Amino acid sequence: MSMITKERPVSNGVVLDITGDLTYANREQFKTAVERIRQRGVRYLILNMADVRFVDSSGLGLLALVSQNFKLSQGQVSMLKPQSYVREIMVLANIQKLIPVYDNEQEAVTGFKQAA
Amino acid sequence: MERHGTSSVDCNDSSRSTGQTSGSDKTAAQQTALIVDDEPVSRAGMAARLKRLGYRVLQAGDGKAGLELLRRERPDLTILDWMMPELDGPSVCELVRRDPEVFSSQIILMTGHDQPEQIAEGLARGADDFLSKAASPQEITARVQAGMRAAGLIRRLEHATDEIRRKQEAIERELQSAARYVVSLLPAPGLLLPGLEMASAYRPSSALGGDLFNVLRWDEHSLGLYLLDASGHGVSPALRSASFSTFLRDDNLLHRVGSSDPGAILTEANRQFPLTENGSYFTIVFARLDIRTHTLFYATAGHNGLLLHRRSGEICYLAQPSLPLGFDGGNVYHTADTQLSPGDRLYLMSDGLYEVPSPTGELWGQARLKTSMREAAAKPLADALSHAIGAAEQWLGHQQFPDDIAVMGIELAG
Repeated sequence: MSMITKERPVSNGVVLDITGDLTYANREQFKTAVERIRQRGVRYLILNMADVRFVDSSGLGLLALVSQNFKLSQGQVSMLKPQSYVREIMVLANIQKLIPVYDNEQEAVTGFKQAA
Repeated sequence: MERHGTSSVDCNDSSRSTGQTSGSDKTAAQQTALIVDDEPVSRAGMAARLKRLGYRVLQAGDGKAGLELLRRERPDLTILDWMMPELDGPSVCELVRRDPEVFSSQIILMTGHDQPEQIAEGLARGADDFLSKAASPQEITARVQAGMRAAGLIRRLEHATDEIRRKQEAIERELQSAARYVVSLLPAPGLLLPGLEMASAYRPSSALGGDLFNVLRWDEHSLGLYLLDASGHGVSPALRSASFSTFLRDDNLLHRVGSSDPGAILTEANRQFPLTENGSYFTIVFARLDIRTHTLFYATAGHNGLLLHRRSGEICYLAQPSLPLGFDGGNVYHTADTQLSPGDRLYLMSDGLYEVPSPTGELWGQARLKTSMREAAAKPLADALSHAIGAAEQWLGHQQFPDDIAVMGIELAG
């Protein structure tokens, strides 16, 4: 399945709404969308995963990579509403240690303010 | 129409003096036309016209001889009379299209009756174009040149396809050779130490797999066991895995880490193998077994494939959630331990063994794998592995697993 990304500003950062699968096949599209945001100087990125059905091992690596790149720019990536299967993958890979997971957008935005 | 035997076949090389080109990248002088017509006068007329256009011209006086010449000489363009005794033009077309050696030949069918139905039939039976015997010299020239142009393009396409096929075969040979190397890195099954048996299975999803496992012999009382999985498929993960397995050699680990402790080894490996710029990484399970005390020490990095099947029937996954290697350079991996008893089996496996989708997309999963191992409890260790892979294959519905499968099992003699 392909991927559609749409960004929208929130106080202090950007939300990237992702629809589709975060997989090897869509890796370039995801990287491009995220890098465009980071290179504008945005420090806080919320990945809205509500419409992501599947994340494969390549997708997981990209999430870690994006999180590392934002940290290098003194920023932070967080994740919003992963579906149950995706959430399970995140838990097994302990990814919440790197990327905080939130169930509502307001909490995610507040999380940034605390980090900032 | 007059009947001519195969003896009417002749070959005439035209002169190259006309200097005309056919419209393809080859000059007309290099291109060959075959005229198949049982009517000597019309055949000679067409031959003379084509020679004037600068083509090399071959002639045949009936369908059978024409087919023979076409197969032998592979002309660029064949002009075929419809009406001939025994084997007529459309029948020759059909035979050519069925022959894989010459099926792409360019053929113009020629007839005195150019009714629309006849044209349709000729094209349907395999002709590329149609020419009326009453056509003007200009039309004949134009159609012949168009046919030659198409023939030139088809030849180029065939050459390019052959070239690609040859290169593909060379790459596949290289991949097979690399795959043999990867397999040579895997440990041989059998007795690792007195009272400790090992069995394994390895099925890469493509020629080259990114999964590897191995056994390290620390000393006469303890062994190291690991199974790693490089993210992605194909050449790049296989190379990265081979490089990682060099890091994981016992002498290198003692030199670099100074310990056989699984947590310390993964903590150092995590520093040595950061995420690549594409976000590629390793997951790994690393264990150390002390055969005297039957104590198993283990650590995992983003890897959940460590299954303990006790002789008592208890079966559980040992791994706790942990970061894959390279996700956080400062992460510390901790060693856990558990006590094994005689008859216990331990499996190290890649997720390719249980993340197997059914035709409807449902995953086989770790719970079904457990059930499968339970069913095989009474079988020998190697058969238990085959049983589990067989069950996963049945779930999948075919033999082409989407991900690499690697599994290594050990059993303490009871």
